[in-house]
Amino acid sequence: MNEGAIQTIRLAGELDLSRKRELRDAFALSNDARAVLLDLSEVVYADSTALTELLRFCASAQGANIPIAILIVAPQFLRLVQYAGLATAFKIFQERGEALHYLSECAGT
Amino acid sequence: MPSRIHPAIVVPLAFLAVVIGVLVAGGLWVQSTVASSFGDAESIGTARFLVEDVLRRQLDEETGIRGYAVARRATLLQPYFEALAALPATLGRATGALEKLRLPTAAATLEDAAGTNRRWLQEVAFPLLTSRSSRPGLQFRGKRLVDRVRTDIASIETSLAARDAGGRLRAQQAIAWVDLFAIGAISAFLFAALIFAFQQYRLGLRIEEERIKAEEQRRRSAENRAAYLAEKRIADTLQRAFAQNVLPEPAMLRLGATYLPATEETKIGGDWYDALELPGDRVLLAIGDVTGHGIEAAVTMNRTRQLLISCALIDPSPGPVLERVNNELMRTDSPFVTAIAALVDARDCEFAYSAAGHPPAVLLEPGKRARFLEVGSLPLGVLRNAVYQTHRVRSTPGALLVLYTDGAVEHSHDVVQGEELLLAAVESAAHASQSDVAAAICNRIFADRKAADDVAILTLRFADSQTMMMVGAGRKAGLA
Repeated sequence: MNEGAIQTIRLAGELDLSRKRELRDAFALSNDARAVLLDLSEVVYADSTALTELLRFCASAQGANIPIAILIVAPQFLRLVQYAGLATAFKIFQERGEALHYLSECAGT
Repeated sequence: MPSRIHPAIVVPLAFLAVVIGVLVAGGLWVQSTVASSFGDAESIGTARFLVEDVLRRQLDEETGIRGYAVARRATLLQPYFEALAALPATLGRATGALEKLRLPTAAATLEDAAGTNRRWLQEVAFPLLTSRSSRPGLQFRGKRLVDRVRTDIASIETSLAARDAGGRLRAQQAIAWVDLFAIGAISAFLFAALIFAFQQYRLGLRIEEERIKAEEQRRRSAENRAAYLAEKRIADTLQRAFAQNVLPEPAMLRLGATYLPATEETKIGGDWYDALELPGDRVLLAIGDVTGHGIEAAVTMNRTRQLLISCALIDPSPGPVLERVNNELMRTDSPFVTAIAALVDARDCEFAYSAAGHPPAVLLEPGKRARFLEVGSLPLGVLRNAVYQTHRVRSTPGALLVLYTDGAVEHSHDVVQGEELLLAAVESAAHASQSDVAAAICNRIFADRKAADDVAILTLRFADSQTMMMVGAGRKAGLA
């Protein structure tokens, strides 16, 4: 698996206004990234500010034609992400393997 | 304020204390030196007078004896007897004065002079007194002895003079030291004053700096407060304009709404709802929430509302309405907006809706449990040309459609639990009261918890079949 080109962004806990700066710093595309794995498997909550940052980042990655896979496990966070319509525009996975498989397929084609 | 000595002036104060200590010690030393040299000078004067007195007495004795030896007249012996009587006392005082001056050599010389005098008395004076002739040989010997006394006295005077000169020198040196001390003291005081003034100056600068800083802080916080109050007032006004929203009362539908502001007054949210009556017994419902708070949220909220109504007047299909609003918002750097637009057909109990990043609507149909409708697509303002799907729902008479903003389910961080609570609140409110379902739902959710964010709830109930038939019959009668 060509993991070198995959940029992994990992966040955990509750994402809210108090972590806005941390989120801004985390949600930055590295220059050599050809795909992004957004590992939110340990996130349980995100407020509207955090969701906004998340949406902005996903939109910018999509705008740069960089495939992005979002890993979400906590059901209450998954529900919030469904509200935000993320599932309709971006790929969301509950298994890390599936997410990486998707990204490597994207890189292959 | 505690009166503590500032550390900055401790250094010059300590320096000054050391300088004053040295000056006092030096001054005392100079004073004692000068005083002792003055005392010395006085003793030297006394000693010189006494020593000269000794010589004078010796000469008086000699003059008396010599005169008597030549003329043999008793009256001529008077100075001799006076001097003879006075000399022992004078010698004693002179010896005492020399000893007091601690001049042992001079004292010894005086002793020698005294001895010479005694020899002169025994060997010269007494023989001349008793002799009948003038005895020139004896007189010559007497002259030599008196010369020896004179030499002794001269020697004592020389050492007294040397002692006097030394004392004067020491006094002069001491006075020079006094001058030096005075100059040193003045310099030290000047130096200390300079340090003190410099410290005072620096202290003054610091105090001034702090005063300016404090003033700046006060000014800034006053400005912030004023800006905050101004923003709150504007946002309040905008929100009040929204709160005066009057819902239409179409036939066969019952609309209701409630609005609960956040408990935290700093949060002026961007929640809104609208209901627009359209021809053909149709109603367009809209509910939305602008992310963020304050004026920008309130302004975007009003802009989105106007856009949504304008677009709906051209073509009320919910999906295309949201797509047009989204593309309009994408033209500017607007905050994200979540919304649901629903087009309700009162006659057929049907509705179509489209959702943009918004929590799902709740539908409660008679005889069934309350359920969430399908969630939608991204919020408005995220992606240009985003697609917003239109969902169609065929419902039944008496069904209750509930639209709300996220505050209704996100009061805790567990939205799944919030959803369960909302469904239960909808079910119990729907059964309990017919009049104001929206307020009843809100009351049930927030009976024992605070609203962390603004909450808006918009409800629509389809008429039951009986009412529908009555309305239908009335219309036919009207047409006929």
